[in-house]
Amino acid sequence: MSKAIKRKDFVQGDEAIAEGAIAAGCRYFAGYPITPASEISECLARRLPEVGGVAMQMEDELASIHSIGGASVAGMKALTVSSGPGISLKLEGLGWGIKNELPYVVVDVQRAGPSNGVATRVGQGDLYTVKYGSAGGNNSIIALSPKSVQEAFDLTIECFNLAEIFRTPVFLLADETVGHTRELLEIPEDSEIERVERKKPTVPPEEFHMYPFDTPEAINYPYPNIGDGYGICVSPYTHTSRGYATEGMKDQDRMVQRIVKKVTAHQDMLTRCEEELMDDAEYAIIAYGCEARPSLEAAKMARAAGIKAGFMRPIFVWPFPDEPVFKIASKVKKILVPELNRDGQFSREVSRAAKGQAEVYHLGSGGVETHLPEEIFEEFKRIIK
Amino acid sequence: MKTQEDMAGLMHPLAAKYLRPERLPHKACPGCGIGHVVHCTLNVCEELDLTPDNTVWVQGVGCSSRISYTLWKGDNIDAHHGRIFTVATGMKMSRPDLNFICFTGDGDCASIGGNHFLHACRRNLDVTALMFNNSIYGMTGGQVAPTSPVGAKTQTTPYGNLEDPMDACKVAMAAGASYVARWRSTDFKQLTNSIKKGIQTKGLSFIEILVPCPTQFGRYVLNMTDTVEIVEWYKENSVTLKKAEKMSPEELEGKFLLGEFAHNEDRTGIVERYWDAVEKIQEGRK
Amino acid sequence: MEIRINKEFCKGCGYCIEYCPQKVYELSDELNGKGYRIPCVARPDDCVDCGLCELYCPEFAIILDKTA
Repeated sequence: MSKAIKRKDFVQGDEAIAEGAIAAGCRYFAGYPITPASEISECLARRLPEVGGVAMQMEDELASIHSIGGASVAGMKALTVSSGPGISLKLEGLGWGIKNELPYVVVDVQRAGPSNGVATRVGQGDLYTVKYGSAGGNNSIIALSPKSVQEAFDLTIECFNLAEIFRTPVFLLADETVGHTRELLEIPEDSEIERVERKKPTVPPEEFHMYPFDTPEAINYPYPNIGDGYGICVSPYTHTSRGYATEGMKDQDRMVQRIVKKVTAHQDMLTRCEEELMDDAEYAIIAYGCEARPSLEAAKMARAAGIKAGFMRPIFVWPFPDEPVFKIASKVKKILVPELNRDGQFSREVSRAAKGQAEVYHLGSGGVETHLPEEIFEEFKRIIK
Repeated sequence: MKTQEDMAGLMHPLAAKYLRPERLPHKACPGCGIGHVVHCTLNVCEELDLTPDNTVWVQGVGCSSRISYTLWKGDNIDAHHGRIFTVATGMKMSRPDLNFICFTGDGDCASIGGNHFLHACRRNLDVTALMFNNSIYGMTGGQVAPTSPVGAKTQTTPYGNLEDPMDACKVAMAAGASYVARWRSTDFKQLTNSIKKGIQTKGLSFIEILVPCPTQFGRYVLNMTDTVEIVEWYKENSVTLKKAEKMSPEELEGKFLLGEFAHNEDRTGIVERYWDAVEKIQEGRK
Repeated sequence: MEIRINKEFCKGCGYCIEYCPQKVYELSDELNGKGYRIPCVARPDDCVDCGLCELYCPEFAIILDKTA
């Protein structure tokens, strides 16, 4: 069913992300200028005051992520954006959000790396960073990756909703290609947008546990904020269910189980893939983000050449879609995974999830430009020989 | 061993009113001055009607913060090391109606938090920051701090500190904080007055408190283990602003300057300016 | 006015003993549950209710009970 549309425009992915945040109810933004994410900050600097929100350019990347943690604790839906080098800096603050179960959204507009790399050009080197980069592991990171400008808008809203449902930081793992591509964006009327709002406790403060270690799989769990009268305790250290510092092994394990299980217990809610031409496929191309569209084109080129190729794209990249990948691997002989890095991050995950059911091939690149469909098709022909 | 019930009758009225009984006695070392500052802060809470409902305690990492963390009956927000001002920015911008008292240390504020300290002062963020200065990294075992005196033999400067200490009050003033003061933790009346003034002054109020640290600074740097001896050392090595005016630079070498260095009641800060601007922007769109 | 000491909160820092202008406190032989040697009120009649001991104690262990 089509939604009533408020605004139709030809915009960059970055602007779509900014508008998605506003539509989701984000009213606090903090960021630091970094190519290719700066346009998001610039858009929000203009738009947030219009809707009564806060847009701050902080003194550095760390200040940005820590201040959105503060804003979250103060009741706001909060956002920060960056690219690879800035995400590296933000990892400490991310830990605070994970540990204290704070909902907020981080956008990574990936660029070519390592280190500062090529500021203005695309890369896909942060898959592992966003999930495993923060100190100590044991995290609850959810990450979604858009392939188009419209999806950048839609998935940003979904990120905010997931953040509230799971009380965790959520990543929008975008990239420079999607961020800087201009396409048609349709923004629905406010009434058409589904927003998940923060739940407040229904029991008195003395009965409430800020961190539900007794029910580690609980989602949609209440989240009182400062000034709500619950005397909340938030800290970077291991804490009890009430937030008091503790060093006991049992407490540590209970805390960690809660953080990890609240996501792993709901894999079904956090798995969504796009498949095309897979019904009778003998080979598959699996890609995410900016590599998705040229990969689909390559699969179509293969079909035109009489090869039974199929295409799959995960929309949720974390938690990794183990089951859909395994199903595909059980059906096809070989899988090609194009990605814009030479570490083989994404193909390693596909290989792991395939559990040996199919051979998995990595088509890497240093980035700067996405793979062309022809390039993917050439490699595809080579591997299926 | 006394139970919580036994202790209830022996609870100091301020502690009973504002602190969580299960978190007392707090974890400071014997003789540490952090308890003095908490006491003065609670006196101010009484005077200014700062309650657990309208006031948030914000902490960083280190003795300053670990001891005050989860003492307050209201909300306790403990940030990462050095990030106290950034978290406070997010909170105060979102909830300008609430009061924020930030407990930070010399390492937390002037070292790892230096950049954030600078910009919080520049923005004149409307919070009150109490920087506990024991001139050392206490919690981690006695390493050198940016406020340690030259020559100090600490765990990481076994041959003597070669760096000049930072004067955090000067930095706060240069960056634009509305209220800046320094006292010893044993200057109870002046400290209480400063905390009160700081909370009442809009913008960033920065109060540096010289805190005796018998376990690390006293033991390793001053070679003193007697708590009273350390307090006396601070008394001998501090001088008020008034007295300092009549002293030569040589006489002032190595001395702590005490007093109120800045009190600007007119300078607005980011919180007031931002929300005023938003109001105008929204008016303009009507 | 009664001086009450929460013995279990005391950490034996000695500030009350040193800084009471009337020398009301003395170090006792008593150890509290944590092993700290705690003060006792040796000369309660000399107390002038200046309130310094209450402030010097970093532990909220001294209570000047004005109701008693």
